[in-house]
Amino acid sequence: MNRLLRGAVGVLVAAATLAGVRLGSLSTYTAETDAHALVRLAWRARGERVRNCRHRTPEELEKLPPHMRQEEVCEGRILPYRLVVELDGVAAVEEVIHGAGAREDRPLYVSRDLPVQPGSHRLVVTFARESRAVGDSAIAMGGLSTPAHLTLDTTVVVASRRVVLVTYDEEREQLVVRSGSVR
Amino acid sequence: MGWLDGLTRAVRRGFAVLDSVLNRLYGWRYNPLYHSGALVVTLFVVLLVTGIYLLFFYHIGAPYPSIVAIDEHVWLGRWMRGVHRYASDAAVVAAAFHALRMLVQGRSWGPRTLAWVSGLVLLGSVFLCGWTGFVMVWDVQGQVLVQEGARVFDLLPIFGEPISRAFTGERELPGAFFFLNLFAHVALPIGLFILVWVHVSRLARPGVFPPRRLTWTVVGALVALAVLWPVATPPPADLFALPGPAPYDWFYAFWVPLARAVSPGALLGLGLVALAAGLSIPWISRPRLARRLPPSIVDERLCTGCEQCYLDCPYEAIAMVDRVEAAATGKSAQVARVDPSLCVSCGLCAGSCAPMGVGPAGRTGRAQLAVVRDFIAAHKPAGNVVLVACERGAGGAGNRSTYDDALVYPVSCGGNLHTSVVEYLLRAGAGGVLIVSCPPRDCWNREGPKWLEARLFHEREAELRERVDRRRVRLVHAGMGERGVLRAALATFRGEIAVLESTTAEADIDLERLCEVTEAGAGNAR
Repeated sequence: MNRLLRGAVGVLVAAATLAGVRLGSLSTYTAETDAHALVRLAWRARGERVRNCRHRTPEELEKLPPHMRQEEVCEGRILPYRLVVELDGVAAVEEVIHGAGAREDRPLYVSRDLPVQPGSHRLVVTFARESRAVGDSAIAMGGLSTPAHLTLDTTVVVASRRVVLVTYDEEREQLVVRSGSVR
Repeated sequence: MGWLDGLTRAVRRGFAVLDSVLNRLYGWRYNPLYHSGALVVTLFVVLLVTGIYLLFFYHIGAPYPSIVAIDEHVWLGRWMRGVHRYASDAAVVAAAFHALRMLVQGRSWGPRTLAWVSGLVLLGSVFLCGWTGFVMVWDVQGQVLVQEGARVFDLLPIFGEPISRAFTGERELPGAFFFLNLFAHVALPIGLFILVWVHVSRLARPGVFPPRRLTWTVVGALVALAVLWPVATPPPADLFALPGPAPYDWFYAFWVPLARAVSPGALLGLGLVALAAGLSIPWISRPRLARRLPPSIVDERLCTGCEQCYLDCPYEAIAMVDRVEAAATGKSAQVARVDPSLCVSCGLCAGSCAPMGVGPAGRTGRAQLAVVRDFIAAHKPAGNVVLVACERGAGGAGNRSTYDDALVYPVSCGGNLHTSVVEYLLRAGAGGVLIVSCPPRDCWNREGPKWLEARLFHEREAELRERVDRRRVRLVHAGMGERGVLRAALATFRGEIAVLESTTAEADIDLERLCEVTEAGAGNAR
C-alpha cells in the first residue's frame, strides 16, 4: 500500500470511528412508545401518629442493666391508610399504604402510575385511615395530621402522552388534580 | 475456567488484528489503541477546558433555556458543547478499550489489582459525571435518566424520603436540586484526577499523555465532529408529559431501555452483579498458582549496588537498601532488594544487570546463558539468522521453533533479554540476530522494548559489549498480528548480512566469567 493510499484509508477509518461516536451519542429513542396517557397518584401524607405502650414484666426488667430498667415501653408509628382508586367504574388500585421506614413511623408516601387511554375518565380516589389497634393512643401533631378520610370524585381529561397528577394539597387538606407544567 | 481462557484468547486475537491494521495505517507510535489509557486523560483535560467555558453561561435557575442560549447566542457555544459531549463519549470508549486490553493481557491481578480496582472506580465516576451532565441540560434524556435513576436509588435505605417524589410533578423542582447536580458535576472531576493518580501510583514513569501529534489529532477530530454534527438540542424536560422521541447518548444511557423493561430491584441487582464481577476480576483472571511466574530475587553476592535494576523496574518493585556488613565484605554499601508484593515478574531487571545478579528464577542473565548454551548445542546456527522473539508479540513467532527457516529463540519479554545472549549467539556462529519485540506502547511489561533498545544500541546497562558487531544485530517491533512486518524485516536483514564476511563459531565461550571480571572492575571503580 503506498503512502498516499494508506493516508486516505487512515482518514477514512478515523472518519468512520467519529461517525460511530456520533451515532452512539445522538440516536433517537422513545422511552415511552405507547401513545397512551397517564394518571399519576403521588403525594406525601403525615397521617396520624399513634403509640402503643405496655409494661415490662419483672423478668424482662431483671435482664436489663439497672440504668435501663424503664417500666413502660412505647412504640410509635403512623397509622396506615387504605388507598382505593376506581377508574371509569372499575377498581384500579386497592392497597394499604403503610408509614415509611422499618418501624412505619415516618410519613406515608403514595406513588402509582395508571396508564389510561387519552380522553375523559371518571376517577374516584379514596384515601382512608385504618382503625387503631388495641392499645393505640394518638399523639398530638399540632394540627398537622392528615384527615382520616380523603375522597376525590372527578372527571379528568387526559391528552395523548400527557400526565394528570392526583396529589394531596396539605394547605387545603384535600386531594387535587394537576395537569399544568412545572419545571 | 476453559471457556474464559478461550474467550480471552479470542479477544486478544481481535486486538492483534485491530492493532496490525492501525499500525499499518498510523504506525505503532500513533496507534490510538496503544494509548487508550493516556487518551482518557487527554479527554479529561478537553472536558475540563470546555466545561469551564460552558460553566460561565449555565444558569441553575433556568437550566434548559441557558443551554439553548449557549447553542444559539454564545460565541463558540455550540461547538464547545459539541466537543464537551463528544469528548465525554470518546472517554467511555477509550476507557472500555483500555480495560479490556489490560484484562486480556493478564494485567489485572496481583500487584496490578490496585490499578484495576481504581480503574473501575474511575469508570464509575466518569459515568456519574456524565449522568449529572445530562441532567444539567434538563431535557427529555435528562428527565428519563433522573427518573429511572431515582427509582433505583429509592431502594437504598439512605434517603429520608423517596427521591423519585421530586420528579412526579407534585411541586416545582427546587433550585437546590440543580445546584447539587452542578456541584457534583464539577466536584467529581477533581476526584477523577486524584483517582488517576492512584491508578498509576504503582508505576514508574507512567505514560499519562499520548504523543503530542496523537493528542492534537484527537482534539482536532473532536472539533471537526462538533462542527460537522453539532449536538442537537432535544425537547425540554416536562414532568407532565410522557418522554417522547429524543436523541439519547448511548454511551451513558445504555441502561435506560433495560430500566424501563425490568423492575428497579432487578436493575439494582444486575448493577450489583456487574460491580461484583468487575471487582472480582483480579481473583478470576489470575493464573493458577503453578502457572504463576515467580517474583525476582537478588543474589547479594553478585549485586554491585549500581542501581540499574532499581532505575529500570517499571513497577517500582526494587529498592536500594543498606547491605549488612558491607565494610567487612568490601562490597558496595547498598544492595538491591525486590518487594515480591509489587513485582509482576516481568524480568526487566534481569536484562539490566551486568553481573547477572537479579531476576526471576529461571530468567536471570545466568539462567538465560544456560538456556542459550543448550539452544546452540541443539541447533547449530552456522551463519544463519537467529530470531529472538517475544512470546507475546513478534507476529506469533515466539511460539514457534522456526520462522521462514530462521531459528527462533523465544523470550518472555524483549526487556528480559540479557545482551550477553545476543553476544553468545553471534560468537556461537549465528550470522545475525534479529530481535523482535512488541511495539513499545504495547509491551505487557510496559518498558521492555524501550530498555532493550537502549541496552542494545545506546549503552544503557547492561549494554551489548562494544566487541559485538552491530551490523549483525537488528531490533524490530511487531505486534502479535504483524507477520508481514516480521517477514519483511527478516528478508531485509538476511540481505544485509549476506554481504558481510562469513562467521566462525567459537569453541569455548564463557560469558559469565567475562561479566564477573568486568563487573568486579566496574564495581570497584564506583
